Amino acid sequence: MNKKIRYTALAAFAVLAPIGLMAEAQSKRVVFLSVQNATEGFTGVIGKLAAEYSKQNTNVAYEYQNAPQADLAQKLQLLTASNSLPTMYNVAEPSLLMQLAEKGQAADIEELFKQYGIFDKLNPAAVALQKSITGGKLLGLPLELNIEGIWYNKKLFADNGIKEPTTWDAMMAAAAKFKTAGIQPFAASGEQKWPITRLINGYVARKYGADAMARVAKGELKVTDAGFVEAARAVQDMGKKGYFGAGVNTLDYGSAQDLFLQGKAAMFYMGSWALGSLNDPKQNKIGAENVGFFNFPTVRGGKGTRNEWSLNTGIATAINPKQNDAALGAWLKYVFSNYGERALTDNGQISGFKVAKLPANLPALTKATLAKLGAAKNAYLWFEAKFSNKASSVAGDNVQLLVTGDMTPENYLAELQKALN
Amino acid sequence: MRNSRQKSILQHLSNIPVLALVLLAVLVSVYPVFWIFISSLKGVEEFSGSPMWALPKELHWENYARAWTEGKMSTYFLNSILTVVPSLTLVVLLGVSAAFGIEIMQWRFANLTTLVFLTAIMVPLQIVILPLFTMYFATRLLNTHLALIITYVAFGLPLVVFFMTGYFKTFSREVIEAAIMDGASIYQVFFKIALPMVMNAVVTVALVQFFFMWNDLLVSLTFTTSPDMRTVQSGLLNFVGQYGQREWGPTFASVAITVAPTVLVYLFLNQLVMKGLASGAVKG
Amino acid sequence: MQGTLRDWKAVLVFVGPALLIYTIILLVPIVWSVGYTFFSGSPLAGFKFVGLDNYGQIWQDQKFKEALWFGTKYAAVVSLGQVILGLLLAMLYMFYLRKSSVLIRTLVFLPVVLPTVASAQMFAKLFAIAPQYGLVNSLLQGLGLESWVQGFLGQANSAFWVIAAMDIWKAMGFYAVLLFAGLVEIPEEVLEAARIDGAQGWTLSRFVVMPLLMPIIISSLIFSLNGTLKVFDSILALTGGGPGTTTMPLTLYMYKVSFTYNDYGYGSTVALTLAVQCVLVTLLVLWRSRKGQS
Repeated sequence: MNKKIRYTALAAFAVLAPIGLMAEAQSKRVVFLSVQNATEGFTGVIGKLAAEYSKQNTNVAYEYQNAPQADLAQKLQLLTASNSLPTMYNVAEPSLLMQLAEKGQAADIEELFKQYGIFDKLNPAAVALQKSITGGKLLGLPLELNIEGIWYNKKLFADNGIKEPTTWDAMMAAAAKFKTAGIQPFAASGEQKWPITRLINGYVARKYGADAMARVAKGELKVTDAGFVEAARAVQDMGKKGYFGAGVNTLDYGSAQDLFLQGKAAMFYMGSWALGSLNDPKQNKIGAENVGFFNFPTVRGGKGTRNEWSLNTGIATAINPKQNDAALGAWLKYVFSNYGERALTDNGQISGFKVAKLPANLPALTKATLAKLGAAKNAYLWFEAKFSNKASSVAGDNVQLLVTGDMTPENYLAELQKALN
Repeated sequence: MRNSRQKSILQHLSNIPVLALVLLAVLVSVYPVFWIFISSLKGVEEFSGSPMWALPKELHWENYARAWTEGKMSTYFLNSILTVVPSLTLVVLLGVSAAFGIEIMQWRFANLTTLVFLTAIMVPLQIVILPLFTMYFATRLLNTHLALIITYVAFGLPLVVFFMTGYFKTFSREVIEAAIMDGASIYQVFFKIALPMVMNAVVTVALVQFFFMWNDLLVSLTFTTSPDMRTVQSGLLNFVGQYGQREWGPTFASVAITVAPTVLVYLFLNQLVMKGLASGAVKG
Repeated sequence: MQGTLRDWKAVLVFVGPALLIYTIILLVPIVWSVGYTFFSGSPLAGFKFVGLDNYGQIWQDQKFKEALWFGTKYAAVVSLGQVILGLLLAMLYMFYLRKSSVLIRTLVFLPVVLPTVASAQMFAKLFAIAPQYGLVNSLLQGLGLESWVQGFLGQANSAFWVIAAMDIWKAMGFYAVLLFAGLVEIPEEVLEAARIDGAQGWTLSRFVVMPLLMPIIISSLIFSLNGTLKVFDSILALTGGGPGTTTMPLTLYMYKVSFTYNDYGYGSTVALTLAVQCVLVTLLVLWRSRKGQS
């Protein structure tokens, strides 16, 4: 009997010992599922830092995986269904990210970063902004910090004797003047849909104040309210008057941007991620020195001011809490202690991480944009930030019909309200 | 043959409208390939700055370099070949023999089996994505060539079976019966008689399957996330940014890189069809 | 001899492997998906049994009806176009170009080879109005038809025709080769005999060639319809279903419902309806062709 037990124990040890040994030498795999190319943007910076870390710590291997943005939502659903989300992953829709967090698939990054003592690496303003997107919790890394507004062609403005507009009416008057002069007032990609909903968003933020969409989310405002109808009508009027040029819904992102950069359109609503193109002489034919940037103008009888900017932190990057362990902690500590500086020096990318000192050779336009970002008093998010996936999709699809006049502002908002309920 | 040689000039002249039609068909088919090629050499500002038919101002060969290295086209190529070749072999072998079994062999459930295969032609394939993903995850097949291969084979089978049963229907039964009388086994009949005689159809069907597999995006995108496992078509998505911006130069260079071998494969298979035709003529 | 053709083991060897792979990879998941139609929710939000609610909901769903109608219209136009043009080309190869048709056949097949991303971008550029006039608008302008210049892909009606044109153009070479393979199989003696009887041109094709080719034409039509009813890539690449959702077929709607609206059960119901539509259309074609033959 005794002997038998001993043999069993021995056998068990023989089987288990190698496993134990393996566990000790076991290597950690950090997998990042990104929408970007391996060398592009934040993915490139993280990749470089991870490679540096792996050189010193051979037990941690970093792996990049990719899902194109159009397939991301589907991929995340499938990965969740099989409980196999990677260590870090992009999530485009805040509502999806919140769902994932509820299911225990997305970590509270504030807790996680405090656990590893790197929470102070984050810029508090970016943290607050990121939190406001996902119900007060920090669920995504602020790998970018973007400011949105209207870029304009200074030369075209000067040639036509037009000043930087501060009110909606002045902007429309400028647009009318450009139109008569044979210059397309605005470049916008209707194919992408969001460049148009951003205009409605800006209008209601000026009408009701920066918290307009937050109040919609809380149910204090309905998108069928008068101010929203006014906003939708204002944007539809721009379309009907031909301020976006012909075929706005067929214009893709690049073509719209090129219209502005080649001097064919006077104004262009866009985020600061476009700085790369704006600073690129190959793409920018009007010259970076001729590009100006102003905040969304105020509207008559509105509460919003021009100190409030539309800001965002780019596509969210979540961390899978199920893979949290000491090895990951050490990795996170290295990568995100250095991220802010590297993103700015290597890519000129403004991020939500603190940077000790600015690199000396920043382009003038980037510097000017950073100054505006620094002076922002209050922020509001993009139109669909607090929408369900369904409502975002409805908002985008129907705005194409709104801008061409195939759908009335009332119907547009009624459909949207229906999707929101 | 002799007739056509004796055609008079007048008859040739009456063919002019036909010739014009042929030229038009060729033009609308060939120009796009040319267009893809010139687009692949354009600079970033030319896509919206000059008309679509304009020639590139300078030859931006670096688009190809970027497609090959940044776009990882070299890896994708290998993956495409490693999945498409086995899939194609399997789907043709299994599909043709199944069609033979259904149409030539005499058994009770033959018609029912055809119907069973037909169902999948009707069902939109997007619907099986979630169940399949769950199955592949459970069997650890995600991110493997095998997952892509069995999916391509299964997705391709209904079509091969559908078309090949059609071809076997017109197949002369006397030939088979005679062979069996001479003592050939059913497998000999299949490999030595039936298969060679439907070779044209087999090559045609194989061609269709090749393009389906080579141009597939849905399957490869769904069941692979690791960039090292991706196939060529996903390479075309590589130059799209997170806000929808797309670099058309390298994208078209990637397209040109993927199109070149497909055209070669087509030319090769097409040769086979012609050889099959010739040998059929000799026998006939 | 009958024994050889009735040998069960041989049947199993021929049909077994294909049936096995097909059953595991396609049939089981299809049945599995039908199961989802009785649930609402998604892998993420969790599934909830709702009985027949999804089926009740679908008949009230305006978007579903629009997508169904769009898809039907699109399939009818594109399938007819693909098969008719394919047939014309096949006849052209067979009776006019004869042996020299290899090169032409190869060239006309080229559009089949091109990735959808590329052909869609080309059609978008052909019909573009901004940032530059595309070929079509430039021609209209050149002909003095300024008032006809428009953003073809930006309007529901014209976008439909652009998509249809692209999909017909893309597949006609394929159907031509398929039907040509059928034409080649027609014994030369039959054609010769008909010619001796005085049949030529239209009469030859209408009364001799067409009936002999009918099985392949029917197969092609069924195959084409089942492809066009399930169109996905080309519309996604060309209009993304827009403007709004005016060019959205059922497949796109299904994808949207399942993966954007996160309602996998309802998405499966939409897919199932589409499958039923495909079955009905296929049966209709088969029934019509039987009736035509008798």
